[in-house]
Amino acid sequence: MKKIVTFLIFSVILYSFLFAAVGCDLNDPDRDVKRFFSDSTGYKTAYLSLEKLGGSELLKEVEQKLGDNFQGLYETPDVPYTVYTIYKNSDIIGYIHGINQKGQYGGIQVFLVYDLKGNIINFYYQKLTSKKAKDLRATSFSNQFIGLNLKDFENYDPKTGKTDNKKIIEIKNPNPDNNIDFLATIRAVKKNLILMDIFVFNKNK
Amino acid sequence: MNIVEANNLVKIYARGSEKIYALNNISFSIKKGEIVSVIGQSGSGKTTLVNVLGCLDNPSIGSLKIDGQEIFKNTDFVKENLKFSEIELTKIRRKFFGYIFQKFFLIPTLTVKENILLPSVFQKQFIVDEKRLNDITEMLGISKRQNHLPSQLSGGEMQRVAIARALINNPQILIADEPTGNLDSKRSSEIQELLLNLNKNHNITIILVTHNLELAKIGNSIIELFDGQIKKN
Amino acid sequence: MNIFQLSYKNLLRRKVRTSFTVIGIIISTWVLVTLLGFNKGYENSLNNDIDGMGFQIVLTAKGCPYEAATLMLKGGTGLRYMPEEIVKEVNFAEEVDKTTAMLMHAEFDPNKGENGGTIVYLGIDPDTYPEMKPYLNFKQGNWFNEKSVNEIVLGYEAAELEQREIGDLMLILGSELEFKVVGVLNRTGTQDDGMIFLPLKTVQEIFDKKGELTMLGIRLKRDADISAFEEKLYELPDIQVVSMAQVKNTIMNLVSSAKVIVFSIAFIAFLIAMFGVLNTVLMSVFERYQEIGILKAMGALPKDIFNIILIETALLCSIGGIIGIIFSYLFSNVSEIAIRHFLPFTPSGSLIKVDEKIAVISFFAIILIGIIGGIYPALHASNIRPLDAIRSDS
Repeated sequence: MKKIVTFLIFSVILYSFLFAAVGCDLNDPDRDVKRFFSDSTGYKTAYLSLEKLGGSELLKEVEQKLGDNFQGLYETPDVPYTVYTIYKNSDIIGYIHGINQKGQYGGIQVFLVYDLKGNIINFYYQKLTSKKAKDLRATSFSNQFIGLNLKDFENYDPKTGKTDNKKIIEIKNPNPDNNIDFLATIRAVKKNLILMDIFVFNKNK
Repeated sequence: MNIVEANNLVKIYARGSEKIYALNNISFSIKKGEIVSVIGQSGSGKTTLVNVLGCLDNPSIGSLKIDGQEIFKNTDFVKENLKFSEIELTKIRRKFFGYIFQKFFLIPTLTVKENILLPSVFQKQFIVDEKRLNDITEMLGISKRQNHLPSQLSGGEMQRVAIARALINNPQILIADEPTGNLDSKRSSEIQELLLNLNKNHNITIILVTHNLELAKIGNSIIELFDGQIKKN
Repeated sequence: MNIFQLSYKNLLRRKVRTSFTVIGIIISTWVLVTLLGFNKGYENSLNNDIDGMGFQIVLTAKGCPYEAATLMLKGGTGLRYMPEEIVKEVNFAEEVDKTTAMLMHAEFDPNKGENGGTIVYLGIDPDTYPEMKPYLNFKQGNWFNEKSVNEIVLGYEAAELEQREIGDLMLILGSELEFKVVGVLNRTGTQDDGMIFLPLKTVQEIFDKKGELTMLGIRLKRDADISAFEEKLYELPDIQVVSMAQVKNTIMNLVSSAKVIVFSIAFIAFLIAMFGVLNTVLMSVFERYQEIGILKAMGALPKDIFNIILIETALLCSIGGIIGIIFSYLFSNVSEIAIRHFLPFTPSGSLIKVDEKIAVISFFAIILIGIIGGIYPALHASNIRPLDAIRSDS
């Protein structure tokens, strides 16, 4: 019997442990929601994909807005995105949405916390593999995104990292000698903003 | 030539320790092409006699010949000289007899045509003799009813279907047990006409059991039973 | 017209009663097919899961029977190691076909989630491990180029999580070096999907575990006596022997007691179906008492009547049986979910394997059961005397 129990623990834990974050959900939504919205009373989870909402046309639109094509094995139109809608009693008080982004040494998961108008009110790496992860995870870095919205990123070109928007130019890379994960992060933020615009803020357009 | 020869037929039923003589020493013969009416009050032994003659039942004692073939012969109660098995009796029935009864016993899920053809199913005649079927239904006036179900027919029509079913295998003897018992007088006389017609034009021997004296009069001879014995011949 | 049509039309006479009997037969067949399918599927899947490990016996250091479980529970502090020399000792035994040595290592990753998390690396020998796991196919790339090299192979889920393709770089916690992804595996449905594989020698070097192993997978020769060999292994000092056969036996024992209950239910379902058939057919014989008498007067032999009734029974059972089999195919997924819910342990892969053989066996079983149920009414009907039946009317 003991053997079976351990065999079970072996499989179950190994599975849940390793697969928990694939698809970009919050690891512990109860705790995470409370952390960003201390006065929240609950949240709803919606799973959305570009394929279901508008297929290849929508994908084209997203790529055009992003200024870059979807790349590789994992950035595909059928990826399910999880949108958390946060409630205080019956009122919506904000949203949380995360996406996967390919980084230099591994997957980066960038979660943005939004107010009702689509402004970023918090920025959070759920997962990051980088030699300088500590610097990127510092609040001095993440605070630079607070208050920004999709409009600020409209002219940002993820391929070159160039933009004429002052607010974006001012975002500082804590490791100026290696900008791969920094640029990946900005691309992720822009993509996150575009998707949320489609999923929530401009849903009826 | 005699098609039926009955000699000293006795049929005994046991009712507890009492013995009932349903048939008591009956002898007679029927010629080919005759109509014989069997009359008598209820319980006089009419049906028992017809069942024995129609090979649906064995007598207890006596002898019975159909078309010259000895079907049954028993001179006393102890020793059975000759008795046909149920299978052999069935084969005799197939060969010689057609039956019609007071109740029509049509199978409700089968059409008129299928009901008429039922006897040939058991004779493994899978190819339908359409001409014979049409002749019979034409004669009986039900040719347009072939694809109807019994529930769509009147009582008279149902009895005609039963008669057609009895005739389909070309029997030599037609046993009719109260064939008009369930019909009104108009339909009864129609059936009466039919039986006469069958006898005259097709030379079928008919054994007719009835308590309707008018109908009985069509017989060339009348056998009246009383307490299992022949009253008049 | 023939006897077959006569029987078939008769079933239409009482449509409601016929339908209920057929439903009873459908359910019995459905239960039977599903159970037989389960009987086969469960064992197959369990075998696949265990064979999927590639080896029948795993040796680990005493004190940590199942390293991964311990790892998760203790956060990586519970690992114990055994000396690499054990490989030579085991390979020496004549029963052994192949062995593969593994070193598992767990590191704490502070950048995983809010509070950090554990990452597990598995060091494997590229010469022996792939042979033990022939079902591991590559979506991209291949195994490591050398025995000791800074290369990584990822299970499908692990690659998705890390967004890695071949040629991409990765960092290994505890090492300053960059590692190159050389292979991404296809999804297998096993725990390998979440693995990060490194060459054994590399893991030993970077985590300072030279000459040490956590596991040794052993595959025996086909005709080897597993239990006798296990006995021999117990003599090795400070070694724990984990036999997959043992694990399998224990699970199968556990499941077999559940099976007894389930098969009893199936047996009862069958009895109910049989008596349902018996009742339906007998009722219809009673109802047609006079009609059967007339059929016999018209020249039907007892054999003919017997056949009519038995054909009716066989028809009922065939219709019910076929629909039941179709149901079991259609709803095997639902049944599987239910079984997974009720059983204490279920392997991956399909639990219910309904194949043609099972369908055919079940079909004939239900027909046989129906015919057994139909024999009494058929005998009863064939023995009806025409005279009694016709008389019963007046």
